Amino acid sequence: MTWQVKFARSNVTGVAGVTSVEPEGNEALRITVQDQPDVLAVISPAHRMNAAAAARYHDQYPTMDFLCGYRTSCIWEGDAIRYLEENKIGWGTIGTLNSVLPKGSVNSAAHKDFVFSDRLLRQTRSVANIVREFDQVHTVTLVSGRTLRIGMIMQYEPTADSVRSLWDQFGAVDIAWNINPNGRPTQDAIEAGRELGCEVVQWDDLKAIMKKG
Amino acid sequence: MSAAEVARHLIKTCGSLGEFQSYMFGSSLFGIGSDYDILIVGPSGEPLSRLKAEIRIAAEELPLDVLYMLPSEAEKTGFVANEGCVTLSQMADCDQGEPVANDQGD
Repeated sequence: MTWQVKFARSNVTGVAGVTSVEPEGNEALRITVQDQPDVLAVISPAHRMNAAAAARYHDQYPTMDFLCGYRTSCIWEGDAIRYLEENKIGWGTIGTLNSVLPKGSVNSAAHKDFVFSDRLLRQTRSVANIVREFDQVHTVTLVSGRTLRIGMIMQYEPTADSVRSLWDQFGAVDIAWNINPNGRPTQDAIEAGRELGCEVVQWDDLKAIMKKG
Repeated sequence: MSAAEVARHLIKTCGSLGEFQSYMFGSSLFGIGSDYDILIVGPSGEPLSRLKAEIRIAAEELPLDVLYMLPSEAEKTGFVANEGCVTLSQMADCDQGEPVANDQGD
């Protein structure tokens, strides 16, 4: 059993309704949940998940219900997300898996840190088109024709390093959006964004920017 | 791996940690949760890049969630005190299972 499967097994065992968690091969867990179908979750140690890696896991485990990137920092490329969603395979962190196991909605689950914000963008009237480049980076075309590249930061208190790391990992963005509804970006984070050339904002500010066009 | 073992592992393998203040916080302190929450406080630039590279290697088979703060951010947010952060060196000195006293004065 690989290190990440050991950690995941120990973690999932405590989830309400879970009656057994057994390894399947080297990188997966067969999870039995009360009153729900069994779940086959593949647990990956990847730092970055692309479509080819997702397809390899799918080949290896054809009945996979969920692909878990065990590292919190795992980056999911847009093509990997599209591949998994088209094949009705849930994806995200161990926290995502744990939150959907009791509900039985594993196959339609998406990374819980970003699912609400992704939906919010898609429901915004001033948005004409969205390309999800990564789990936390969207290129949004507004009705006005203007394009914005938006990076999401989940932390409660985004720091200067959060903003710089966003740029290092994903390239230039127009907006660093603090998606934690109770978040408070530090002044250093706002300054770091200014130095790099992006605004560090929360939802109300972003909504106003998009409405303005 | 216990939280104390993780602290010892990081101190042993990340030579640049001495240039920073380093802490563990959150549910990791109580041996629960899916990963270990680490706070690093110190300068940005080259020293930070070096430390990040060391941590990446140290965490090859370990789930770490690392938050990096400038000293000014740590001070303004009061994160260390508010989150009950414990220094890694204090953690490393703990025996497995021993309760950890929060070090709010660091």
